Amino acid sequence: MQMSTPKAGAPAHNAGAPAAVELRGITKRYGSIVVCDDVRLTVHRGEIHGLLGQNGAGKSTLVKILIGLAQRDAGEILLEGRTVDISDPLAAADLGIAMVHQHFSLVEELTVWENVTLGEAGRPDARRTRDLVRDIGLRYGLDVDPDARVEDLSTGERQRVEIIKCLRRDPSLLILDEPTSVLTLAESRELFTVLRHVAQGEGKTVILISHKLDEILSATDHVTIMRSGRIVAQRATAATDERELAREMVGRELSKWVAASALGDSDALIDPSLSTDPAMLSPVEPIHEDEFPVRLRIHEARVSRDGRPLLQGLSLDLRAGEILGLAGVEGNGQQVLGDLLSSLVELDSGTVEMDGVALATGRPGVMHMAGIGVIPEDRHASGCVLDMSVAENLVMSTVESVARRGFVSRKAIRANAERLIEQFEIATPSPDTPMRQLSGGNQQKVVLARELSLNPRVLVAAYPTRGLDVGAIEYMTERLHDAAASGIAVLLISTELEEILTLSHHIAVIHRGSIVGQMRRVDVDAERLGLMMGGQVV
Amino acid sequence: MPARWVGVMSTIGLYALSIAVALGLAGVLVSLTGASPLDAVQAIFQGSLSDASALGLTLDKAAPLLIVAVGTCVATSAGLFSIGQEGQVVIGATVGATVAIYLHGPGPLVLIVTLFGAALGGAAWAAVAALLFYWRGVPVVISTLLLIYIAYQVVFYAVTQPWFLMETGRNVAAPQSDQIRPDAWLPRIGEYPGLNFSLMVVIAVVLAIGTKVVLDRTTWGFRLRMLGLNRNAARRAGVSAVLLGSGALMISGAFAGLAGGALLTGGNHRLQPGISENVGWDGLLVALVARNNPVVAIPVAFFFGVLRAGGGFLASTGVPRYIVDVVTAILVLAVVFPPAYQYLRREARARRLARSLAKAGGSA
Repeated sequence: MQMSTPKAGAPAHNAGAPAAVELRGITKRYGSIVVCDDVRLTVHRGEIHGLLGQNGAGKSTLVKILIGLAQRDAGEILLEGRTVDISDPLAAADLGIAMVHQHFSLVEELTVWENVTLGEAGRPDARRTRDLVRDIGLRYGLDVDPDARVEDLSTGERQRVEIIKCLRRDPSLLILDEPTSVLTLAESRELFTVLRHVAQGEGKTVILISHKLDEILSATDHVTIMRSGRIVAQRATAATDERELAREMVGRELSKWVAASALGDSDALIDPSLSTDPAMLSPVEPIHEDEFPVRLRIHEARVSRDGRPLLQGLSLDLRAGEILGLAGVEGNGQQVLGDLLSSLVELDSGTVEMDGVALATGRPGVMHMAGIGVIPEDRHASGCVLDMSVAENLVMSTVESVARRGFVSRKAIRANAERLIEQFEIATPSPDTPMRQLSGGNQQKVVLARELSLNPRVLVAAYPTRGLDVGAIEYMTERLHDAAASGIAVLLISTELEEILTLSHHIAVIHRGSIVGQMRRVDVDAERLGLMMGGQVV
Repeated sequence: MPARWVGVMSTIGLYALSIAVALGLAGVLVSLTGASPLDAVQAIFQGSLSDASALGLTLDKAAPLLIVAVGTCVATSAGLFSIGQEGQVVIGATVGATVAIYLHGPGPLVLIVTLFGAALGGAAWAAVAALLFYWRGVPVVISTLLLIYIAYQVVFYAVTQPWFLMETGRNVAAPQSDQIRPDAWLPRIGEYPGLNFSLMVVIAVVLAIGTKVVLDRTTWGFRLRMLGLNRNAARRAGVSAVLLGSGALMISGAFAGLAGGALLTGGNHRLQPGISENVGWDGLLVALVARNNPVVAIPVAFFFGVLRAGGGFLASTGVPRYIVDVVTAILVLAVVFPPAYQYLRREARARRLARSLAKAGGSA
């Protein structure tokens, strides 16, 4: 993923002028856990400053403190050399700080200008707001029709609306949290061009939060790397490279499983010659087509909800022993596909077959009984029950196996839990601990352990590493690889191309509810993949 | 002091404050009627706890409440908020009275069939709500609520029809049924003036403990809790919300119906339109206060029994009956208020944050 943006090098800093943002010794604790530890950070006017770190490194907490969503326990915040107190998001807005969050908050039924004016006091002024949207669009290259309905916009366009919502207040500091996680390659490039203009053309300051190395390298002037709540390194972007950033971010050399995927380096995955690092090579051995029998066949699946088509004739073959990576921009039907294979959705037409036998869709437990294990997209929604214990979650779908004459044996539940906790290295104080109290990575391990303990024939893993730290990513990746090696047909749904490239034997691209293309891992070509994800049949 | 203890202390403080305010308010109300608040407290105590027979009365009052509450716990465990217990109690009593009056045979057998019929009646009434919910998507809260008013009409119709349950040889001015056969009355344990109470007290406690065990320890209870806590996870694991949810709703109705049967065979001994005495509503409150734990519901139901027994005695000392009801209601509010207040405060805080975010133009 080469994201070249026009870069004129870091602007020269006037040594005399105060920094746009200066954090002095910011510390934040939640209970006994220190999430930000004596953070010192200086960001100058007119620069794009990258904030790099794994999940849980403290990036989010740091910016929450900056926009008033969290209060620091110690330290000082200076804007343009003045000490400020940011008690809530309103105070942050008054100080000229704006943030584009990872998840959008747009009202889909309303038009762009209506969304922009939302939250204003007084009567909405349609003409003025429309002009405003156009002006900002022209000024920054954020082209979007003010009268379009948000529900009709692509994800990239929606993000533009979010950015316009921020820019209309003419902030001096713009913060973006993982902005490219929902974008196609082309959209990401456009975004970085806009940011460059915001920083250099308009003299504003931009903080870009990311865990993707190539993004940081191509879009920023300076980069600060956080690990476990501390700042471990600060570099001029021009003076560093991918390898150094990776090492600083993780604190160690990575195994072959995650080197590329966790760090967002798909160039190395696609063309190993681009990287000098042997660890960046994909460990997946190519397998020959048609070598294994088809396990799961989805044929011409169609689903609509409230008149909106979600799956539009999706067909997919899943073979035993192979990992099929389903790439695509988020919101193109991945969720409903996961729901379909969890018996949560009934097909309007089309079939789902397991080893040639049709399965009833939408009927409780049918997919599960047929041997389809699912690590769902949102584990809290259907993967686990947060208010039940770890041990109970581990037997959720097979409670009969630990019961006698209708009574659940606590001993059997506990024995099962202890076995799986050890086997899958789940970190929990006890089997009786409520699921809610586990970390995301360990909750995910519980789901994985339960699904794999049932000896599934098919395993669906939707965004299996989302929100996990590198250690947990490494773990999940290895387990998925092992699952396929043991003969399970694995469907890997992800928006992270790197994750898909690391693991998959085959790659299919989903767009607007159908498969637009399919290729073997060894034939992958980044440009073509990118175009397909944008919906073009190549 | 650790944060957890601050939380516990503030909760206790909130309860104390809430009950103190309620008692103060009740005192003012009672004084307004010309009686002395102190005498009133004493009257409540005398009527409910002062001696063995008063205690027995309290237990009698508590038993139907507990049965209703335990049933409510079952429905709530499945994630269904049924508020129609009052109607199910009335229907239970009506079906029970029909069985007791028309069925011939040995007394104990008639009693058992009566109670069984009452439970079935309550279950059937709840089944209407389950059907409406799973077939047409009518919210359970609404259907169960509206079914209460239909139930009131049904019982009134029953006791005004000579061919059905109207008392033989009476006019329709004070509609009620004939008395049921004394040998089909619920047996009592102990004798006046010693501690004496209806067998229903024992049944209620056994049901409470049994339900707790079933919910906590059986595969059925496991699935039910799963359904209540996360529908989607349960569905994927093969739990049919329709079957299990309807079942839970009907069991909840059966418990309420049984309470109606108990009121009939253990107290009134005849069907009257007002037989339920709001037992359905108060039973629902017991479950709410007990946070849907059938065993915790035992002491809570006892507390409500004290209010009911003591309230009756208070009325006999000259305080108007409606003031007694108001005082009882205030005390109930005092117990329900703290958790509701804490919930609302959390919500308000979240809403405030969301609003300030929206105004700041950002998104969250």
